[in-house]
Amino acid sequence: MQRHIVHCDLDTFFVSVERLLNSSLVGKPVLIGGSSGRGVVASCSYEARRFGVHSAMPMRLALRLCPEAVVVRGDHERYSKYSNLVTEIIGEEVPLVEKASIDEHYLDLTGMDRFFGCWKWARELRRRVIRETGLPISFGLSTNKTVSKIATGEAKPSGEREVSGGTEKAFLAPLSIRKIPMVGEKSYTLLRNMGVHRIETLQQMEAFTMRRVMGEHGVMIWRKANGEDDSPVLPFHAQKSMSKETTFQQDTIDMQLLKRTLAGMVDRLAFDLRRTQKLTGCITLKIRYSNFDTHTRQVKVPYTNSDRAITAQVMELFEKLYSRRMLIRLIGVRFSELIHGNYQVDLFSDTTEEIGLLEAMDRIRTRFGIEFIQRGICLPDGSRQRGGQHVTQFT
Amino acid sequence: MRFIVSTSALLKHLQAISGALSSNTVLPILENFLFEIHDGSLQISATDLQTSMSTNLQVEAKDSGKIAIPSRILIDTLKTLPEQPVTFTINKENFGIEISAGDGKYKLAGEDGDDFPKIPVIENAASVSLPADVLNNAITKTLFAVSNDELRPNMTGVFCQMNGGEIIFVATDAHKLVRYKRKDVTIDSDASFIIPKKALTLLKNTLPDDDSAVAVDYNASNAFFRFGHLQLICRLIDEKYPDYEAVIPTNNPNKLTVDRGQFLSCLKRVVIYSNKTTHQVRLKISGSELHISSEDPDFSNEAHERLTCQYEGEDMEIGFNARFLIDMLSTLDSDEVLVEMSTPNRAGLIIPANQEEEEDILMLVMPVMLNNY
Repeated sequence: MQRHIVHCDLDTFFVSVERLLNSSLVGKPVLIGGSSGRGVVASCSYEARRFGVHSAMPMRLALRLCPEAVVVRGDHERYSKYSNLVTEIIGEEVPLVEKASIDEHYLDLTGMDRFFGCWKWARELRRRVIRETGLPISFGLSTNKTVSKIATGEAKPSGEREVSGGTEKAFLAPLSIRKIPMVGEKSYTLLRNMGVHRIETLQQMEAFTMRRVMGEHGVMIWRKANGEDDSPVLPFHAQKSMSKETTFQQDTIDMQLLKRTLAGMVDRLAFDLRRTQKLTGCITLKIRYSNFDTHTRQVKVPYTNSDRAITAQVMELFEKLYSRRMLIRLIGVRFSELIHGNYQVDLFSDTTEEIGLLEAMDRIRTRFGIEFIQRGICLPDGSRQRGGQHVTQFT
Repeated sequence: MRFIVSTSALLKHLQAISGALSSNTVLPILENFLFEIHDGSLQISATDLQTSMSTNLQVEAKDSGKIAIPSRILIDTLKTLPEQPVTFTINKENFGIEISAGDGKYKLAGEDGDDFPKIPVIENAASVSLPADVLNNAITKTLFAVSNDELRPNMTGVFCQMNGGEIIFVATDAHKLVRYKRKDVTIDSDASFIIPKKALTLLKNTLPDDDSAVAVDYNASNAFFRFGHLQLICRLIDEKYPDYEAVIPTNNPNKLTVDRGQFLSCLKRVVIYSNKTTHQVRLKISGSELHISSEDPDFSNEAHERLTCQYEGEDMEIGFNARFLIDMLSTLDSDEVLVEMSTPNRAGLIIPANQEEEEDILMLVMPVMLNNY
């Protein structure tokens, strides 16, 4: 049975939200992202793209290319709110929606064609989103997720594109292989070195050639190039892991700072675990040295969401992993093997006081936000003396 | 060396001690039984270096000697032979073994009995005598709570404490704890030691189920159990046992009395709908109603059951791992159990509602935090 899949993507989402709140940004090159020396561009307006700026580019370089750009710091919470607004509108209309990212949705419209046509229906939905949220949105309609996504890319900005069943190959043929969602920097370089530039060339190749060059991954790319993709629209993504990373303002070997940062990240992540009633069974630590060498190390643990147990494991991992006397650029912590459940109290290593403290802190944080109360270990030395506003300390 | 023995008698003895065998790739001789003959008496031993078992039986033999015989091949042979006398002939030069039974002849290669690790003998031992059924009961009640966590070796055995006329067995894995006290045992001197799990499992499988006496000799490093024709020696766990008395809460104002059988079968049903890893269930007690529920949001599974109970105390809601509760309730024998609790983040105690006079059983289970906020 032929499916009808819509992929919709909010155009320069972060910028659009900022423009909604501050109309003076309309028509100007806008960059969203941290403005400090090491920040990167999270999103940029089409005006800025004309200068060669693209997302994930270091902010410093972006400003050199486009000095007149307006830099906005960005507020992830605000973007989440608008994103949920859009999800809600789509959810009201479509029974099967997959939220692929903060600004992307896949809709399965199979069966709708029998009423008044998917194309017309999708256009009305798009107009409704624009009318009710004020955010520009583009969509692509085709028979599977890959082709729809590529079609959206072609429709942008603020456009619509239909690739009807049977015409997928012809639609893809003239495009660059870069447009295939799975082709990243490495695959692109490899394929370009092989002389493959357009998707057409891939279509004319045999699947086994791709298998020989890139293994199973290559076959997947080949299938996508031919407009084949049978992955379903999944309404629910089970969260597989949660992680936090910190890039330091300046590369460091300040052990105190490193440990404090780790403790802080664990504190937040473990709170998230407890808030969502989850336990982790695998902890991973990541270190990136100043020369961009990245090392990770993981350990399996009995399922837990306790600050104490996780912090102990993370510190042990850190001792093991940090073996080179080199400046550290980034550290990160990641919890995987998440399952639903709550913490099993330990008879000997947990005290009632500690459990009570954790419970009380969680309660305060649920009401007043995570910043409201902190552990002393997560604060820099100087601020520990200051019995200031919200700095409450426990030892 | 040569001896004659009946197939079924030999097999019975071998199977009784075969649990102590180990498949050790560093010391392959541990996969063998050690046969030692002295004055027409055959002693067979098996060991994994931590736990050793041996047994004695009478055989027809003229001379003495020892040989290590591969266990797998020997047991497999005996299993398939009908009841009949078999002759073992051992070549002392190359340790070849020839088994002749009826019209069959089987040859296998043994190993020098002198290479077999020495089974420890116990010295400077104190001793105590326990009826087999008492020991068996103590093991059954505690063994399930023993930890498998090798990072906490002190909890990988049952703590045995002889103190002022009573003997106490304690097992814990830091999430649950069992304390089994026995008051009808005569004890000469106070002592305490940790017996490893494997030795107790072997004991449980081989102890007779009557009240025949089991002699227990112990010193600082080993314990030695003798019953019938069997002997078991195990190395004790040389660790300090955690201070279990300190973690048993004494002030538990919330007391729930419930039918053990009903509670157990209810939990067995509800746990089917809980998460397959955490087995988490929620107990909500208000008035004289116990509400047991579980959920697994990943599969949209959910279960609710209500039980009538007697309850004294404030209404409360507490989470537990249902596997722990099921293990505990199915180990107990009483018709009703008493569950004592204080707050949802502190241990719950499970106690049989009516205990026999000479027995005192206390089970403790730690809750899971429900995060109700």
